[in-house]
Amino acid sequence: MGEDALDPVIHTQTRLRIMTTLTALPDGDRLTFTKLQSLLDASAGNLSTHLRRLEDAGYVQVVKGHQGRIPSTQIGATRAGRRAFEDYVTHLRTLLTPPTDPTEAQEER
Amino acid sequence: MVEDAPLDPAASAALIAEQRAKVEAAMDVDARVLFGAWGVAWLVGFTVLWLRDLEPPVLRMSQQAGMMVFAALLFAAGAVTAGHLTVKGRGLRGASARQGAMYGWSWSLSFAVVWALAFALARAGASDEVIGVAMMITSLLVVGALYMAGGALWEERIQWALGAWICVATIAAALVGLPHMYLVMAVGGGGGLLAGAVADGVRRRRARMV
Repeated sequence: MGEDALDPVIHTQTRLRIMTTLTALPDGDRLTFTKLQSLLDASAGNLSTHLRRLEDAGYVQVVKGHQGRIPSTQIGATRAGRRAFEDYVTHLRTLLTPPTDPTEAQEER
Repeated sequence: MVEDAPLDPAASAALIAEQRAKVEAAMDVDARVLFGAWGVAWLVGFTVLWLRDLEPPVLRMSQQAGMMVFAALLFAAGAVTAGHLTVKGRGLRGASARQGAMYGWSWSLSFAVVWALAFALARAGASDEVIGVAMMITSLLVVGALYMAGGALWEERIQWALGAWICVATIAAALVGLPHMYLVMAVGGGGGLLAGAVADGVRRRRARMV
């Protein structure tokens, strides 16, 4: 069942960090681009590239807003993104816990 | 396209834990700071008012001077609160930010009503003593009620319990009357807030150990 196929959209350092950060917030919350950048220690260009990939997958929503007259971009995880991250974490957990096959365990006794 | 180094599952798990801790440290509102600041302000402020109001007074200062000291302490605690919430909320938009702003305005408007009451009482010919008692008790009502409301909405038990405790202490202070009502609020109110700060510290340590 695709044991090693962790969701490739999430499974890179930067995108995993982005999804971890955004899903740590309550549903409906967003971060400004600047804040997200400071929490990730990423360059603006690098962050933009990865955000585009996540946006294309429907995992994040990028909202172009204004704060006074200064344009400010805000990013939040979508429902689909939260679900995908949960699935990723669940999948990760199964990969990290050694398989316990009930028949094998019985044979050993 | 910038791609990162490949991750193995263990590295992924470590990265998630590390990033979660980082986000938490950057954005988590620390109740120890807030309760601690207000606890110290109440403990010292109400004690000053009590010592001044004793017969004979232990602290020799005019009522105005006593109120000024108390107001300065409250202002300092307010500044600590505003600063902390501003730093922690920086860059946060959406539902929580709106909720926090509405809750913040609830505090400001409620205290504006307390000041309006003092003004109305003064115009109706109330004595300084009556105005002082009315302001103190209505202020404490606002604090207790908003803590309980906030605690209920955010499901923060410590905050709710603190609000309930402040209401009980205020009832006790009202029954005791001047001058010892100040002592009741110094120990009960200020002490309660400091106990809340300690309780939050314990809760944090437990959460970390799980």
